[in-house]
Amino acid sequence: MSLAHSAATILAKELKTEFRSRELLGTTVIFVLIVLVLFSFTFNPTSSESRHFGPGLLWLAFLFAGSLMLQPSFLREQTNDTLAALRLAPIDPFSILAGKMAANFLFLLLVELILLPVFAVLYNVAILPVLPQLVLVLALGTIGLATTGTVFSAVAAQARLRELLLPLLLLPVLAPVLIASTEATAGILRDPSELSLVWLTFLCAFDVVFLTAAWLFGEYLLEE
Amino acid sequence: MAGASESRTSSEPAVSPLSIVVVFLLVAAASYGALIAAPEEATMGMIQRIFYFHVSSAWTGFVAFTMVFIGSIAYLRTRALKWDWLSVASAEVGVAFFTVVLVTGPIWAKPVWGIWWTWDARLTSSFLLWVLFVSYLILRTLVDEPERRAMVSAVFGIFAALDIPLVYFSIWWFRTQHPQPVMGDGGSLDPRMWRVLMLCWAAMLGVMTLLIRVRYRLEEMRAEVDALRMEQSRSAR
Amino acid sequence: MKNFNFLVSAYVAIWAIFCVYLISVARRMSSLQDDIRRLKENGK
Repeated sequence: MSLAHSAATILAKELKTEFRSRELLGTTVIFVLIVLVLFSFTFNPTSSESRHFGPGLLWLAFLFAGSLMLQPSFLREQTNDTLAALRLAPIDPFSILAGKMAANFLFLLLVELILLPVFAVLYNVAILPVLPQLVLVLALGTIGLATTGTVFSAVAAQARLRELLLPLLLLPVLAPVLIASTEATAGILRDPSELSLVWLTFLCAFDVVFLTAAWLFGEYLLEE
Repeated sequence: MAGASESRTSSEPAVSPLSIVVVFLLVAAASYGALIAAPEEATMGMIQRIFYFHVSSAWTGFVAFTMVFIGSIAYLRTRALKWDWLSVASAEVGVAFFTVVLVTGPIWAKPVWGIWWTWDARLTSSFLLWVLFVSYLILRTLVDEPERRAMVSAVFGIFAALDIPLVYFSIWWFRTQHPQPVMGDGGSLDPRMWRVLMLCWAAMLGVMTLLIRVRYRLEEMRAEVDALRMEQSRSAR
Repeated sequence: MKNFNFLVSAYVAIWAIFCVYLISVARRMSSLQDDIRRLKENGK
C-alpha cells in the first residue's frame, strides 16, 4: 500500500470516528468562543483597539484550542490499544502519523472557519473583502499547528501528566507561528489590506521544516 | 556477572584537575579582560562590561543546544544511551547559561534604560529558548522508563532545536516591523572589545565543557543504578 | 563609579548561578553514589 493510500485510509478512519461522535468538534468551538469572550473583557473592544489586539487574540485562542483538542488523537488509540493493531498493518508507519496530521488539520481548520465570522461580529472586523487571504493564512498556520501538535501528542501519550504536558511542549515551539500568523492576519485586516510575503514565506518554511522532521523522526514514536 | 562490570561507571574523576586549572585560568583572564583591560564604553560607562559575559553566555548556550540536537539524532540512529546522556547534560547546562543571559540582561537594562525588562529581540528570543529547553527537561522527568524517555526526548529535542532559528528570525523580523529602542551594542565594536569578547567566549566554552562532562557522569551513574536495580529484581525472583 | 553596584551584582549573579548548578549536580551525584554502594552491598 502506498504512503498516500494508507494515509488517506487513516484519515478517513479518523474523520469517521469524529463525525460519529461530533463531541470533540463542538466542544472545541465552544472553548474558542469562551476564550474570545473572556479576552474581550481585558481591553476596550472599540473598532481600532480590536484591529490592534484582535488578530493576536484570535490566534492565541486557536493555539490554546489546538493544544487541548489534539490530545485525543493518540489517547483514543491507547484506551483500546488500537495503535498496536495499526502498526501490524503492512503500511509505512509514517502514514499513521500523516493520516492523523491530516485529520487534525481538517478539524482545526473547520473550527477556525466556524469561528472567523463570530470573531468578525464580536470584534467589529470586516472579513468578507479579504476572506481568501485570511483563509490562506489560517491554512498555513494550521498546518504548522497540526503537524507539531500531532507529533507532540504522540510524545505526551508516553508520559505522565499528559494533559498538561502537551500545551507545555507545543506552545513554546509554536511561538514563531503565533508571531507570523498574527502579523500576517493583522496586515490583511489593515486598511489598506496588505499581504505580507515575508510572513507567508516564513509560515511555509516552518511547515516544511516540521513536516520533514515529522517524516524523518516521527515514526520512532510509534514503536513499542 | 559480565553485565555488572560493563555497567560500572569509571572510577576516574569526570574532569581532570588539569582541565579545571586550564578553565579557571581562562575565566580569570577573561574576567580581567572584561573588567579592567577592555576600554570603557563611551555612553554606558562601566555597566557595559556585563556585555562580555552576557553575550558569550548566549553563544555558549547555543552551542549546548546544538549538542542536544546532535545527541538526539545520534540516539535515534544508534539507540546507544550515551547519546541520550549527552543530550540531557547539554540541555541542562544550556539552560544554566541562558539563565545567566536572562539574569544579566535586566541587571544591564535597569541602569541604562531605567526598566528591568525590554521586549527587545535578543532577550525575548533568549527567554523563549530558555522556556523551550526547560520544557524538554520537564518532559524527561515525566517519563520513567530509560529507553522510552530517551526516545521521546530525542524527538522533542530535535523539534526544539529546529525551532531555534525560526524563533530568532520571527522575533527579529517582528522587531524590525515594530521598532523599539535597541538595547545592546549600539554599533560596531572596537577591536580590543572583540578580543575580550572572544576570550570570554573561550572561557565560557571551557566552563560548558566541564559542566557537561560532570553532568554526563551523573547520568552514567543513574544508568548504573537502574542496571543494578534491574539485576537485583531479576535475581530476587 | 556610577553603576558599580549593578556591575558587581551581575558578576555575583553569574558566579551564583553556576555554583548553584554545580552544587545541585554534586548533591545528586552523592545520592547516587550512596545508592550504588547500597545496591552493591545488597547484591553480595
